Amino acid sequence: MRIEKRLLARVEGTAQLELVWENGRIRDARVRIPSSRGIERVLEGRPFMDALVITPRVCGICGHAHLMACVKALEDAIGHVRLSQKAKLVRDITLMVEMIQNHIKWFYLFVMPDFIRLGEKLDEFEPFRGKRWKEAISVASEAIKVIAIFGGQWPHSSYAVPGGITSNFTSTDVSKALALVSRVEGFFLESLVGMPVEAFLSLRKHGSWEGLKGDVKLFIDLCFKYGLERVGMSYGRLLTGGEVFPCITPGHFTGEKKLCSLNISKIREADGSPYSGAKRVRYNGMPYETGPLARQFLSGNPFVKRLHKMYGDSYMVRVLSRLLEVWELTSTVKEKLTSLYSFIKEPSCQIPFQKPERITGEGVGIVEAARGTLIHRVSIEKGVITRYHIITPSVWNLGPRCEKYLGVAEKAMIGLENPIHAEMVLRSFDVCSVCTTH
Amino acid sequence: MNILWIQRLSCCGNTHSLLNCETFDSLLREVSFLFHPSLSAEGEEEVVEDVLKGKLKVDILLVEGAVKVDDERIKELCRMADYVMAVGSCASYGNIPALKDDSVCGLQYRFKEKGGLLGSDFVSKGGLPVINVSGCPAHPEWTAGVIRSLSRGIKPELDSWGRPKEFYSSLTHWGCTRNEYFEWKIEPESLGSKKGCLFYNYGCRGPLTYSSCNVILWNGVNSKTRAGTPCFGCTEFDFPRAGLFETKQFAGLPAELPIGVSKRGYIMLSGIAKVFAPERLKLED
Repeated sequence: MRIEKRLLARVEGTAQLELVWENGRIRDARVRIPSSRGIERVLEGRPFMDALVITPRVCGICGHAHLMACVKALEDAIGHVRLSQKAKLVRDITLMVEMIQNHIKWFYLFVMPDFIRLGEKLDEFEPFRGKRWKEAISVASEAIKVIAIFGGQWPHSSYAVPGGITSNFTSTDVSKALALVSRVEGFFLESLVGMPVEAFLSLRKHGSWEGLKGDVKLFIDLCFKYGLERVGMSYGRLLTGGEVFPCITPGHFTGEKKLCSLNISKIREADGSPYSGAKRVRYNGMPYETGPLARQFLSGNPFVKRLHKMYGDSYMVRVLSRLLEVWELTSTVKEKLTSLYSFIKEPSCQIPFQKPERITGEGVGIVEAARGTLIHRVSIEKGVITRYHIITPSVWNLGPRCEKYLGVAEKAMIGLENPIHAEMVLRSFDVCSVCTTH
Repeated sequence: MNILWIQRLSCCGNTHSLLNCETFDSLLREVSFLFHPSLSAEGEEEVVEDVLKGKLKVDILLVEGAVKVDDERIKELCRMADYVMAVGSCASYGNIPALKDDSVCGLQYRFKEKGGLLGSDFVSKGGLPVINVSGCPAHPEWTAGVIRSLSRGIKPELDSWGRPKEFYSSLTHWGCTRNEYFEWKIEPESLGSKKGCLFYNYGCRGPLTYSSCNVILWNGVNSKTRAGTPCFGCTEFDFPRAGLFETKQFAGLPAELPIGVSKRGYIMLSGIAKVFAPERLKLED
């Protein structure tokens, strides 16, 4: 028996993988996430509005999702907050755009270089030099401009506030945002799936993933070449907490046939373990995977449904779910932007005047972040935060084991024979250590 | 120019911010990354070992994130590099990770105290103290701008907080589209308004913060204050202060006045401004 420690590159933050080998196979795996920054403690004792500025700083790549979970939690605690249709639409749009940029960067910057390490010659995907690698960064940052148009900047904007949003924009701004989203759509069709929209939609109808071309096909071929189409399976339990109509619906899947609704009172977080700074979270006592695979499976994406039926919750299916979600998000963003024109004259923010010191209450905010379900809980007393509690997607996926169950990502690595494959499986969860410990 | 990027207690926000640099592609042609935690294919340990052994030369070391006061590894790396850049407010001043943890600081400061991990006298091989590209996150054009200057042999002039003057010598207020409302002391009725200045009631630190956010726009298109969000002063050592959406007041006056304005001057000017404010500015959106 041999124990091997690997410090991971190409993840958000710092993570260490500890592998226990026996007879050439991984017998046990631990995901170690080091030091936390103590953001929950930083919030205690502050005026509640400060959370809108500090919680996005949990994460540099999904800070916007933290902002959205935070503002929902605050609105829940304040009570009776009404939002204009305009504010609702814009919040959904910016949240989804953050996911889109994450998925694109993740695939090209974090996933594809692993195949180069396995020995593939993929010049276009080579870090710092590859054409496609650079193109992905440029497309992602074009997409992010949509958030900046409505939110002032990205990363770390704080433009959602109880009662709405701070910005008031013109229809020209909306048109520009639409143009930026079209560029992402073009990239998806031309580079990722390699076909015109009609062809893609006709494949989508029946989930015929075998017909996809472009970089997605290249990825699928590489998975088959290296035997990654069936490895990396975990418990097969999937969970989605947030909702963005129509492309993301909440629910959970226990691994059997039926999709079930979600009861958030069954979500429990317990303290971590001696080896990881991360806590662990269970639904109904069980570990669950969250993220694009869960989202797209539960929302009935035809590609993901068929892929899941054939290969389960494998490495390949997990990565493809994230990629194919780009289309679902992009088309929903386009629809929402288009309908935004009719609400442009609505108020951006409307909140009944209340002195902050009169506000006492508890609230919860649930949203989907790029990596999965994100939950913020807040307690406010006379305008001051007395308790703030965050459950991030990475706590679901990368949290440590409990007495009964291994962590979701830990389980997925058992039995693998190649250390790079183990890293790849871990990376397929879109590892975010900065969120895991916060 | 060899660049080494190291992360400590960070959110990776400065990395993702830099990826938004409008000319990132050409930056990659001008300099070469020995290692970047999010971008490199291979691991960090080998590269760092080679640097410490003197096999690899580091021209610019960039540190993202606050550091522990006993981080010998970073200290050693800083000694090996020609120039050391703290990218973002965590690496510059300690910021959020240092708020509740005494063992955490920035490279050459801990909030307003000079010293930090490297000590107040630290000067890198190239003859500069730590270059603080503060901001939460650092603006991509500032980070890229400093890298480009250094790679052309131009040493940035630094202000008293270690920040390159080129980006931090004017206030955030400069170029804000709400300036006219500031001058005439007109506040918005609520958040979400295109008009009105956020300094008077919503805690905007624009007139109290050094940054060029409204001159070199974010993502090339906007800024916080243009989007109706107050400036939170994230380039200053004391970010995040408590009460970020509030303007503290004494006897109807902001507790802190715009930098360089005397109390007497403020009272006189604002009284007059309010009375004579043009009608057109008083209209809501």
